[in-house]
This record gives sequence, C-alpha cells and structure tokens, in this order.
Amino acid sequence: MTPPAGPLRLLAAFIVLSATPAARGQAPVDFNRDVRPILSNNCFACHGPDEKVRKGKLRLDTRDGAVEAAVVPGKPADSELLRRVASKDADEVMPPAKHGKPLTAREVDVLTRWVKDGAKYATHWAYVKPVRPVVPKPDLKIEFLPLRNPIDAFLVDRLIREKMLPLPEANRYALVRRVALDLTGLPPTPEEVAAFVADEEPAAYERMVDRMLAKPAFGEHWARLWLDLARYADSAGYADDPPRTIWKYRDYVIQSFNANKRFDTFTVEQLAGDLLPNPTTEQLVATAFHRNTMTNSEGGTNDEEFRNVAVVDRVNTTYTVWMGTSMACAQCHTHKYDPIAQTEFFGSFAFFNQTADADRGDESPTLPFWADDQTAKRKALEARVAELEAALKGKKPDEAKAERDQLAAARKDLAALKPATTVPVMRELPAGQRRKTRLQYRGNFLDLGPDVAEHTPAAFHAFPKDAPKTRLEFARWLVSSENPLTARVVANRFWEQIFGTGLVRTSEEFGTQGELPSHPELLDWLAVDLQSDWDMKRFLKLLVTSAAYRQSAKVSAALFERDPENRLLARGPRVRLTAEMVRDQALFAAGLLSPKMLGPSVRPVQPNLGVNAAFGGSIDWQPSTGEDKFRRGLYTTWRRSNPYPSMSTFDAPNRDTCVVRRARTNTPLQALVTMNDPVYVEAAQALARRMMKDGGATAAEKAAFGFRLCLVRPATDAEVARLVKLYEDAKARFAADPKKAAEFATNPLGPLPKGADAADAAAWTAVANVLLNLDEMLMKR
Amino acid sequence: MHPTLARLQATTRRHFLRASSLGLGALALSDLGGARADATADPLAPRKPHFPGTAKRVIYLHMSGAPPHLDLLDYKPELVKRTGENCPDEFLKGKRFAFTSGVPKLMGTPQPFKPRGKAGVWMSDAIRPLHEVADDLTVIRSMKTDEFNHAPAELLLYTGFARQGRPSLGAWTCYGLGSESRNLPGFVVLISSGVQPSGGQGCWGSGFLPSVFQGVQCRSKGEPVLYLSDPPGLDRDTRRLGLDALKDLNELQEAELGHPETRTRIAQYELAFRMQLAAAEVMDISREPTKVLDAYGAKPGAGSFANNCLLARRLVEQGVRYVQLFDWGWDFHGTNPNEDIRDGLTRKGTVTTQAVAALLKDLKGRGLLQDTLVVWGGEFGRTPFREGRTAGGQVLGRDHYPDCFSLVLAGGGIKAGHTHGESDDLGFKVAKDLVHVHDLQATVQHCLGFDHTRLTHRFQGRDYRLTDVHGKVVKDILA
Repeated sequence: MTPPAGPLRLLAAFIVLSATPAARGQAPVDFNRDVRPILSNNCFACHGPDEKVRKGKLRLDTRDGAVEAAVVPGKPADSELLRRVASKDADEVMPPAKHGKPLTAREVDVLTRWVKDGAKYATHWAYVKPVRPVVPKPDLKIEFLPLRNPIDAFLVDRLIREKMLPLPEANRYALVRRVALDLTGLPPTPEEVAAFVADEEPAAYERMVDRMLAKPAFGEHWARLWLDLARYADSAGYADDPPRTIWKYRDYVIQSFNANKRFDTFTVEQLAGDLLPNPTTEQLVATAFHRNTMTNSEGGTNDEEFRNVAVVDRVNTTYTVWMGTSMACAQCHTHKYDPIAQTEFFGSFAFFNQTADADRGDESPTLPFWADDQTAKRKALEARVAELEAALKGKKPDEAKAERDQLAAARKDLAALKPATTVPVMRELPAGQRRKTRLQYRGNFLDLGPDVAEHTPAAFHAFPKDAPKTRLEFARWLVSSENPLTARVVANRFWEQIFGTGLVRTSEEFGTQGELPSHPELLDWLAVDLQSDWDMKRFLKLLVTSAAYRQSAKVSAALFERDPENRLLARGPRVRLTAEMVRDQALFAAGLLSPKMLGPSVRPVQPNLGVNAAFGGSIDWQPSTGEDKFRRGLYTTWRRSNPYPSMSTFDAPNRDTCVVRRARTNTPLQALVTMNDPVYVEAAQALARRMMKDGGATAAEKAAFGFRLCLVRPATDAEVARLVKLYEDAKARFAADPKKAAEFATNPLGPLPKGADAADAAAWTAVANVLLNLDEMLMKR
Repeated sequence: MHPTLARLQATTRRHFLRASSLGLGALALSDLGGARADATADPLAPRKPHFPGTAKRVIYLHMSGAPPHLDLLDYKPELVKRTGENCPDEFLKGKRFAFTSGVPKLMGTPQPFKPRGKAGVWMSDAIRPLHEVADDLTVIRSMKTDEFNHAPAELLLYTGFARQGRPSLGAWTCYGLGSESRNLPGFVVLISSGVQPSGGQGCWGSGFLPSVFQGVQCRSKGEPVLYLSDPPGLDRDTRRLGLDALKDLNELQEAELGHPETRTRIAQYELAFRMQLAAAEVMDISREPTKVLDAYGAKPGAGSFANNCLLARRLVEQGVRYVQLFDWGWDFHGTNPNEDIRDGLTRKGTVTTQAVAALLKDLKGRGLLQDTLVVWGGEFGRTPFREGRTAGGQVLGRDHYPDCFSLVLAGGGIKAGHTHGESDDLGFKVAKDLVHVHDLQATVQHCLGFDHTRLTHRFQGRDYRLTDVHGKVVKDILA
C-alpha cells in the first residue's frame, strides 16, 4: 500500500518542474467558454434579454441581434462592437465608464478572433442536454496510481495535459477517517478502524464504504445539506420569530436518505406529495419542504403580502435547488442575463399559487400526529359524539337535556385533545377557491398586470404537451430525463460535498453568470450516470471509490501555488468540517454523543445573553437535560433570529432562505468556541476521563490513546512526547493549586470518579482540550 | 501621529508582510467571495478604498423603535396650530399604518423648540444635552424609507433590502476596508436596554459575504465576547502551555502535509489568545477617570447606552472599523407613561443625548471626530397624528411613519452645524431634498471612500451592493 520512496520523490520533482503553465497554442475561440462570459459580464445588462432597459435597440445575447447592428461575421474591421469596445474616446467606449471598466486587451482579442471566425453563437452549455461522453483512456501506467473508475480517467486525462500527476493513495487510517466523516459526519469507531486496517482481502475499501453507507448516521449527516437547501428551521422568522413545529419534516429527510430513496421520488414527494394518488402520511409530511418559508406576524402586516413573499420564495428555492438557476431577478423584471422573461417567473409562480396556507399565525393547514393512547381516546370520543347525535336526531330542543349536556361535554373533550405534534403541509385549494395569478409589476403584489397561466420558461426543456398544468406535473418536469439541468446540478452538489469544490464552482448558479465547469465532460458523464437510476448511495459510492478521492492530501508549496483550490485534484481533498461535524466529533471523541435519533429539536447548552427578542420573549433557553444535551448538531433547535452561537461561528446559516453553499472560514472566534465553550470544555473533561480510565498504565499510553480517539491514526513518537510534556507541565501547575485543578476538571461535567486525583484529571483535561483544537481535528483530509 | 495608531500601523504592516510572505496576499484581496473557502490570507487585512475617504470608521447609534422626530428635530408650528383636527383624507388615502385605522387627530408637538448653536439648528428641549454640540451636527429632516414596520425598516436601513439575507452596512464596511485592529473584531455590536432590535442579527449579519465580516456582539455586562473567558480553573499561564503544545503539534502536521491553511490556523489561535486580553481590557471601563464616566453618565457594569457610547469610543480608538449600537425604548406609541412624547420622551431623550453629546466631545477632544462618522437615528419616523389605538387614553403617542423623518450625522467629512432638507407644513411629506435610506447608505460609503455602485460582491450570478440598484450621494451635507 505504501508506495516506494524513490519513485515518489521523483514524482514530486516532476510536479515541481512542470509547475509553470503549459505553453498553449492559440486554441480556437469557443463561444460558451471564451465569448459569452465577456458579453454577459460587460454587455447584457443593457444589451441583453430585458427589453425594458435595452439601450440603442441593440441586443447581443442572440446572434440575430448582434448581426443586425453591431457585428459583421468574418469582418472585425467592419464590426461596430469591436470599434466601440476598443475605443479610447470616453463618449464612445463600451461599456460606458459609469457601467464598468473597459475591456482588457485579451478580451478585445478574444472578441476579434470570434468575429473573424464567423461570430458563431451557441446555446448556453447548461441548457443543452448532457450526452454520455466517451471516457478517455489516459496513458498512465504507474502501478500505484491506478485509474479506478471513469472519474479518474477524466481527471487524469486533464492532469497529463497539464503536465501533472495525481498522488498515491493515502494510508488506511486517513482513508477510514475521511470516508466516515464524509458519509456519516462522524469519525469511525475504534472497532471500525481496526476492522478496516486488518482487512487484507481485496475490496476491503469498498466493503468499508458499504458499512458506512448503511449506518443510520449516514442519513443524519446528509440531511444537513438538504435542510440548508430546504431552509428548515424551528422558528417562523421575521421580527418575533416565534417557535414553529416542523421537525417531522427533518425526520422525513433523514429517513429518506437512510432508505436511499430515489432522488426523483424524493423530489416529487416534497414538491407535490399531496397531489399523488392516495398520498401516504410520509408523502404529506414531505410537502413541508415548502412550508419552511417564513411567516410574518408583526403588527399591521398584510397576510396576502407575505403569502406572496412565501410563494416567490418557493419559486426561487425550487429553481435554485433543482435547476441551479436564480429566478429571483425575473420576479421584478425580465432577467438581464438569462433568457427568462418576467411573465415566465409568474408562469412558475402560478404552479405554487394554489395552496391553502396563507401566512397565518397558526401555520394552518397542518397535519396532526396522535400518540396511540390519544388515538384510542379520540376514537372513543368521536364514537360517543356520533352516538349521541344519532340519539338526538329528530328530538325537540327542550327534550333530552341530559343527552344534550353529554354531547356538549364530549365535543368539548374532543376539541381539547391536542395531537402529540403537527407538521405544516401543502394542501391544494378546492375548485371554487382557486386563485388567479397575475403579473406583478416590479414584483409588487398590489401592482398587478395581466393574468398569467401556469407555464415553464421557454428556454428550458418543454413541459409535456398533454400533461395537466399542476404542481405534480411541474415536479415531474424537474426530474424528467429531458431536463438538462437537474442532474448536473445535483451531481455537482454531491461532488462539492465530497471534494470540497464543485466541478462548477458556483454550485448555486448554472446560468450564464455562473462559472464554467472545470471538467465539462466529467460533469456530463456524472449527470447522465446519476440520472440513469437517481440512486444517491450508489452515486456517492462512485465518488468515494475513485482513486482521486483516495489520494493522499499532502501538498507541496509549488503544487499549492499551482492549484490552491485543488480544482484539478492532483491531491486528495482537504476541507474544514461543517459546524455540526465539529460539534459531533468532539462529543463523539469524548464518548458523550447520544445516538438517539429523530424527534423534537433539542436545546444544548448555550450562553445566556440576557436580552429579549423585540416584542418577544428571552432569547435565552433552558437547556435540555439528560442525553438531549448531547444530541447531534442537526437536532439543535434552529432559531432563525438567534442561531445556536457556536455553530453560527462555524458558518452554519440562519436558514432564512435557501443556502446552497456554506462558507468555510477560519477565524479567531472559532478558536474561542472550541477552546472555551462549556460544551467543548465538558467534552475535554470527558475525553480526559476516558484516557485516564482506558488509556493504559503510562502517561505516554494515555496520550496515545486519546490521540487515536480523536484523530484515528496512531500518534508519532514526537507527538506523544509533546502531549506528555504538556501533561507534566500542566500537572505541576495544577498540583500547586488544587482548587483550580478541581474546578477545571469538573466544571461542568461533575465530580470525578472515586480515587481520581484532581490535578491529574485537570492536566489530562488540558491535554484533551489541545487534542480537540488540533488543525487536523477540524479538517477532513 | 497618534501613538495608538502608530502602533497599530506597525502591527498591520507586520501582519501584511506575514501574509504576503506566503505569496497568497493577492488571492484573498482579489476575490473575497465565500467561494474561496480555504482563503489562506486574512480577509480582514486593511485595504484601500476606491478613493481617499473622509471617514476611516463609523459609529452608528440606532434608536430601536424610531424616535418621534416631530418632537425632537423637526419643528412644525402649523401642525401645533391644528392639533386636534381630523387628519386630512389626502394623507390617509391608500396608506397603511401599523396601529391606526379610521381618521386620527393631528397632533403638534408639546415640546418647546428653538434654534440651537451658532448655526441655529432646531431642537426641542427633550434633547437638551444635544444643544451643546449643535454646531458639530448635520440634521437631515427629509429622510424617507419604504417600510413601516420595525424589522423590515431596520433591515432596509442596514442591508438595503427589507428582508433577511443581505450583508449589513458594517459587514460591507469591513469587506471594503478590512480592520485596523489585529486584536479585536473589525465590526462590534453593542445593545442596551436589554432588548435586541426587531431586525435581529440580520442588522449586523454578513449575508452572502463570508461570516468573518459579520458584527460581533460584545456585552458591557458579563463576558464581553462569547466564549472569551478561559474555562473556570484554567489560568492564563496554563492556557499558554496548552497553546504552545497546540502550535508545536500543528507545526509537525504542517511539515508532514504541507498545507498553508495550518499556518493560518496557528495564527488565528494566537490572535484569539491576544483577543482574550485585548477585548477584556477594552471592554473594562472601570479604569476611565470619574470625570469621563460622569460626562457620559456611564457606570461600570451597567449595560447602559451611556456605557456603550463610552465603549464605542474605546473600540474605535483601538482600530475597530465599525461600531453599531442599538438602544431599545424609542417606540413611542403611547401605550405606557414611558412612551409619552412629553415627560417620557424628555427622560429618554436627556439620558440618551447626554451620552451622545459626551461621545462627540470626547471624540473631538482626541482628534478622532474628524475621521469618525457618527450617525444617530431610527428606522423610520412617527406620524404627525396621534396613534389610533391609544387616542382615548392620557398618554400621547404616535404611530410608525416611513414617508418623512429626521436623522443626525456628525464628523467624518460631514458638514458641522447644518440642516438639510425640509418636510411639508404638517410633516407628512418631504418638501425639499429627499434623502432615501439608500441615499444615506451611498453617502456613508462615499465618506469611507467608496463608490457605492462599485463596492459589490458576486452572488448567485449577480453583483450585489448595499444600495441595490438605487442610491445617490447627498453632496450637500459633505464638508
């Protein structure tokens, strides 16, 4: 498994020597790659699809428009476009100074060559249906750099062209930690590590991946990504941000991932589960996806206004999540960059404009869930009511007073029965109450234009001719095999989670303002592959079994400079853990993490701020007790106006709206969290007690044990020695101050086990605190 | 040069050299997007604006709830004369008010007004302490917003957009200029009177900018920054022992795997260690001379607006770029005696403006006012009529009003002793020189050296800016 040292050194030299950019000949100009970005960034705002702001009647987003006035194909010298962009005259130059900087010499050159070549236009790449490309056969015959699947063929083909090579496989400890973190969000257990390291049979790695995919923790980890997209929160948003009960939806997402539900089914259930024939409870709960929009209960607000805001959000979120398209621009005016008219925005709006919810404080309609005993009680009461009603039928009002009293009492009891929980759902309006959708000028719900019927933008694949114009058919249209976008967008999003950066870096934007893919053929191959069965676990397994993923994450200065973001994948991925993972991992290493799944959201310890929300109650909370203190981060009560502070510091969003891509910052405030937050201090104390109890006889053994609990791999001698030195230095200090030692070793975790020495425990807590803060700990690598 | 500033610039230079010695400085500077996720260079390193600005930093004093400007800064004798008359229909037609329906009664101010200072800036007696600094201020009496509820109006004011999700003014400021403090956050938020503003954390959020630019809420009571204090029982020296071990172990891994971000992380832990001292020190006002404490009306440990004003001065002195204060208790509906535009307002106004005036004098005395922009105001104004809900009671209150209100600016390149704009005779509409909140944002950014149309960030395929597609710099108030 470990490659011989000699060739590796040679390889490193090869990579450094070839780190200068490859000399490129003048490749032919490609419209989508070279020309469209220049036109889109500099010209389309005034010379694009939006007729209302178009200047000089010139449009450059279509060839007809360009050729009509500004471009003479084949003749750069006669093309007004080139004269204007190259002009030095302030009155003539395009774009005008107040709109942007003049084009660079390189950009003018690209446009000139493009016109010379005939000014050919091409449909934006992402709007063309992907076709499975031929898998390249790169000439790489190095024993320890295998091509494990087509992903590697595409990547290595590119690397060879760039005169670079991938790295050999990482060691087994690194691999098992990487896979466990990526698939379950947690480190592997010591048993899982031992099993994988000892497995010398072929396909040991694949079996380890299968074990991780089968763990219930898989669904919990991957739900997080989807909950960001779904803007899931336990509060309704806006100023008062009152609590909202919608956790059944969170559980639906976890269970769907664990059941490996096909992505197309997962899509249809969430967008239109209520419209499926005889929908199951699960399918109804799924529709809470779009009930995660905010509800406004501030004084004087117009419910219809905020119902409209919610519908707009549903349109935007749907297009962002499935199509990587920002429709938001087209709410107020025809899109300035992409071919989407304002009417088309409201055409999509119309599909979502027929549900019964209407920015109400009670979040109705909701789906009730009854506990078993409640169900029995309810059934009994309902039967009693029916019985009494039947008995009273035909009797005069002054007769049978006793029965009437009993009926009133039974009805009262029935009304008083509250379900165990509820979840807001989508419910289509019945025939007589359908809303009319009208164009809203400048996106203002009071400034209405003509009626708009349900329809999808013309630039996208066609809506099936015979299909009814319903939300259900709209959902099916999104996952139709004719859709060029959804499979690419979803494949890219999975890629981003696994490799750190999407093949399209702007994973939220696949329109003309998004970036081009780093490996277009690979993206298309993946999209076609994913679309073939929409099997999420299989697709993830494909990604993590590639040689690219299994590479060492080691990087030389030269390679780093060459490719700081690792777009070419000449090394393994190395990415900071998410907020939830940072928390879960610390609790896991400490042995505190609760395995309890699903259910109402919990309130782990957070600092009291002593302030109230405007017009609302205290933003502080009474922490949950027992194991609910130590649940995985995704079960934390998500209050939009006051997100859990330690996770927020690690870039967890407040989920007001759909978030595709979290930032991954590295700040001193994060250091304060993992050093000082009582949650992490408690974890350090618990980890210290594990090291003292199970670590072995000597300080070196205890230190090495703690190290492996945290980082999976065995520590080097130097690392053990450094930890032991810290232990000894700290112990000397704590021995001199027993009061401080007792405080640091027990607050907040509680009294030490019988016979434990406080100074010893405090010193190990100091060591554990350092382990939980190691750079390696915070990174997947 | 100011000794503090000189020291700061020296550390800043060191910091910059360190960042560029990795050869990575340019990377983060050219693209601050969240996309460059593993940004190895510090995104808070100081940067130059588009052109030399007149302000290097901002202190924004927000009066949550919206002060009744007609009883403080915008004197309307005609309205006083017509007190008690039915509000003319033209001002009600097609309008929505938060708590008023039907036909309310006009209400002139019960507060005495006079021109103050040599410049003759009109002010009421509810804000007497502010009279003393009248010649340092510009009062805008022609502000306008689009929102009549607190949360959306505050979000519009601070993020340019009435709903959550966009970066705030302070975040944009740090995005553009970085921070000059190496030991403190670049953007600090302080809240008094125990209640968050309605707009919530969105008012100091970073929206789609990286979260390093979001405001850090500091507290004048208890732990000044979340998780700042070492755990109970762990003293500074033992913490240092741990950090030394952490550094050594991280360096071993850096040598093994060679990733430069490990170096950044080591630096961030050292910064956190320094911040623990620096933040605790700057937030401790107990060592301020009694004279200074008294001038502000500050008391160590109080958590008051006065304390926060004093802290604002101490923070900007240490190089913090943007300090945002929120003070609750300005929603003068008249639902209780504290919300009465007579006594209640005089009490609130006096305490508040004592601290504001002390802050301005203090900044001036230290030579900081000239390049510190100070803003005082609310998210909208209040109606020229009596609020409908409380009209039957003894307490006089006003409803929310977005169409015309007043705001105060000082320092940082703003005219001293100046009044801008006018409302109409009854105070319903802007009569002259309308200043929309987007114009205010453009002007603040202009003072900081930015063309507001060019301070942008690309997100979801679009270049976003604070002023959305609006905003004109109010040239008339620039010194």
